[in-house]
Amino acid sequence: MNHYGTANGAARSDEYGGATGYATEPRPSASYGAGYGSAPVVKFENVTKHYGSLKAVDGLNLDLRPGETVALLGPNGAGKSTSLDMLLALRKPTSGKIEMFGSDPYHAVKSGRVGAMLQSGGLMPEVTVRELVTLVTTLHPKPEPIDLTLKRAGIDKFADQRVDRLSGGQTQRVRFALAICGKSELIVLDEPTTAMDVETRRLFWDSMKAEVAEGRTLLFATHYLEEADQAADRILVINRGRLLADGSPAEIKAKAGAKRITFHLDQVDEQFLLGLPGLVNLEVRRDFVQIQTSDSDATLYGVLDAGLRPHDIEVTGLGLEQAFLAITAEDDAAADGSAQAGEKI
Amino acid sequence: MSGTLALAKTEISRLRRNKRYLIFTVALPVMFYLIFGKQKATGYDVSFAAFYMVGMAAFGAFSGAFNNNTIRISQERKDGWIRQLRLTPLPASAYVVAKVLASMVTTVPSIVIVFLLGHFYGDVHMPIWKWIVCAIAIWIGTLIFAALAVALGYKLDPDSVQPVTIVVFFFFSIFGGLWFPLSGALQKFGEFTPTYQVVKITTDVIGHGTAAVGNVIGIAVWFVIFVALATFAVRSTAETV
Repeated sequence: MNHYGTANGAARSDEYGGATGYATEPRPSASYGAGYGSAPVVKFENVTKHYGSLKAVDGLNLDLRPGETVALLGPNGAGKSTSLDMLLALRKPTSGKIEMFGSDPYHAVKSGRVGAMLQSGGLMPEVTVRELVTLVTTLHPKPEPIDLTLKRAGIDKFADQRVDRLSGGQTQRVRFALAICGKSELIVLDEPTTAMDVETRRLFWDSMKAEVAEGRTLLFATHYLEEADQAADRILVINRGRLLADGSPAEIKAKAGAKRITFHLDQVDEQFLLGLPGLVNLEVRRDFVQIQTSDSDATLYGVLDAGLRPHDIEVTGLGLEQAFLAITAEDDAAADGSAQAGEKI
Repeated sequence: MSGTLALAKTEISRLRRNKRYLIFTVALPVMFYLIFGKQKATGYDVSFAAFYMVGMAAFGAFSGAFNNNTIRISQERKDGWIRQLRLTPLPASAYVVAKVLASMVTTVPSIVIVFLLGHFYGDVHMPIWKWIVCAIAIWIGTLIFAALAVALGYKLDPDSVQPVTIVVFFFFSIFGGLWFPLSGALQKFGEFTPTYQVVKITTDVIGHGTAAVGNVIGIAVWFVIFVALATFAVRSTAETV
């Protein structure tokens, strides 16, 4: 069940191919967001995408402001990839409107203001890494120096190897290089650290932070909660194509009920328990009660004030992972199993 | 346009490194010509050496533009390279345009080499303008097959594109009379193929300096059909590449 694990990317540890890691020295140019005020970088207005009867994206609304690092968090099949595909003009929404930098996605992409790395994006075979990066850089209206891109993506060590002879983690970093080879104001990454081991992933985010520090806006999709928690200053939780929560990592945890209280109680009155202050979720199995709450003190006092004397009381803090599971589980329960979210879209 | 040209340039350097490509477009036609070129026979009223020269030049050029492109386009679509390109500032048509351009450039050497062989080994002698007209006719035929390759590459998966490519290519090679001149019922049937029309136009030019209007129209019709198919294939898969 728990496939939202934090570090299950199984990749070889020699992936990194050298000790240098992602270079983090600052780039010569800076200030990507300048001149565009605080108008939203990305705007989704009631966007839906249907594949036949499957609603992959179902009335999505969101705004991205310049300079933000935003994680799009959701389980597989939540509609993350479809949303990013639509944002990047690879798919057309069934209804609703998407704007990027105040224009339609296609023109924003063609003007070079977005750098993107897709899960499904492939590389041209039979050329060397350097040739490929050079080609894509040439296409960009505001190119970065090629050697700098190679270094930043941590691929300078194998720049003369052929693209089709790289390992999974190396390929992933070449894709990343293609996303940052121009001076784009927005960077979109779809599950960027898939196939990277823990160490490579850390280096990747160090490098990414250097990009963002220059004023770029970053939107990335992930199902690694740890990653969203550590890298993003804003998290959008989506499930079944809808936005369930939008806030800082701390706010997301609070929203889901940051604490869990469990105890045993003779003669459980569910109606009473549901009325407890701070309660977010309640589970009862005979005399065992499990409460998820945003205010554990108030909830517990409520129980005691009613004259109840529960035993074996335990109060535990929830991590973002449980918070996320709580939010999506609630949503799945609400959906009543009617519209099953499909496999990865 | 400069971006599309940069892409085409990279495509060309890929092809130059590809041994399979060189074998099919240059080595095989040259080998066949060395083996079969000097027969004491005729084909469509010209010497066999002249017929076989245009046949083999067309064989090499068409396989370069067709066999190679169907498989690559299908594979690159599956791998997501086309998606990746769509994230760049390149216009949406750039991928297809660059592929076709690269084919047009890389088939020139195979035509030139077989023609040189025809001249020096097969003793084919004719005025310079005839050489040029023949080369251009084959070159335009290449364009037709590049368009068909785009249509198939976009429509078929890598698994199914390979056998289909082989069947289509052998069909057009044999019934178009690239390997031996057609006659009788076979010719009646083969007359409709673009490969036959290209060979007929070139042998007519070699033999008496003119080409039948019907064949020229035939080429134009095939061109329109294949470009329409290619456009349809690219459009209909726009959401799935």
